Amino acid sequence: MKTIVLNTLEEGCDSEQISTLIKGDDMEIINTSDMKIAHCMGCNLCWLKMPGICAIKDDYEGIIKKLVDAENLWLVSDTRFGFVDWRGKRVMDRIVPMLNMYVEFRDGLERHELRYHPLNFGLLYKGKADQEFLEEWSQRVASNLAGQSLGVYHIRKEGKPCM
Amino acid sequence: MHVVIINGSPRVQKFSNTDKIIQSFVKGLQASGSSYDLYSLSNRKEWDAARASFITHDQIIFALPLFVECVPSIMLEFLETLPTERQLPAQMSFILHGGFDEGHQLRLCERFLQSLPAQLGCTYGGCLVQGGSFLIRMRDDEKMKKTMTKKLDAYTKMGQSFVSNGNFMTTEAGKFTGPEKNPWIVHLLFRLFIKRIVRKNFERFAQQWGCTRPLDDKPYL
Repeated sequence: MKTIVLNTLEEGCDSEQISTLIKGDDMEIINTSDMKIAHCMGCNLCWLKMPGICAIKDDYEGIIKKLVDAENLWLVSDTRFGFVDWRGKRVMDRIVPMLNMYVEFRDGLERHELRYHPLNFGLLYKGKADQEFLEEWSQRVASNLAGQSLGVYHIRKEGKPCM
Repeated sequence: MHVVIINGSPRVQKFSNTDKIIQSFVKGLQASGSSYDLYSLSNRKEWDAARASFITHDQIIFALPLFVECVPSIMLEFLETLPTERQLPAQMSFILHGGFDEGHQLRLCERFLQSLPAQLGCTYGGCLVQGGSFLIRMRDDEKMKKTMTKKLDAYTKMGQSFVSNGNFMTTEAGKFTGPEKNPWIVHLLFRLFIKRIVRKNFERFAQQWGCTRPLDDKPYL
């Protein structure tokens, strides 16, 4: 079970800490703070012109290639306005090429078909946020990826999880 | 009434479904004697002016598409640049739309938007929620024209309604969403007929865009 961890924190939680928080046999932590990643611009080219390939040529393409081999995805994010901050949301908005344009009903809702395979999704967050809201968001994100929610955990100041 | 409208979509204005919705909505504002300023966050050169307008006006509407179950990251980034306290009271309202037509898909984001104004020193003026907007971009396609014109015209009516009520906290705005989920009969019809038609439509759009690969291509396998 390959696990990809996208650490979007600017500071406060390094790879060593994260690997004590998330258990996985085959885990890769990607620190995105020094990577070049643009906002998804909603162009739809990854669905309708170059299926599966993002039109934005930056460091996210490498992340997509890794996700194709993974079964679990964790987001490590700071928070703002009770939700993940824009840096955390940015790496999730770019996940669109993992799905394709076709639609189906899944769990009773309209969903895009998976381009590859299901992905489980979990969230580690820092700062003051609405735990219940984040749990529902993670559930919905996982459902879009046809996977399970791996849970939502608050990282305390000293880097210890509230699990 | 003077309304500041901020388009929170990252897509360039020319191709923005949110912009099409806004253009229809402001026709209603103008027909009711109101004026507006519009800023698009997809153009970073407009951010400073958008922020200045946010601070100095009292009626603000953010219009946005649903991105991965919540607000697009570009809009979150802009929101972080706004002051959290303000001297002039203001009302923040929202026009939220998304590709799928089920209202349920937009509700979590709506909940986030409800909580937002208070964190920026504003009051909440409601959220106009409607899905099914993917095809707006395809409205030049003859087969889609009629449905999409009707959809956009409904936003013009909501522009008028916004001026007469001062917010989206009305029964009319509530009803604007349509069904929360599709009934079982739609699921059945989808499996039997609609799915094939929808697939064909997507393939036709892709062809118009010059796509030469299958839509379910797996380029990284």
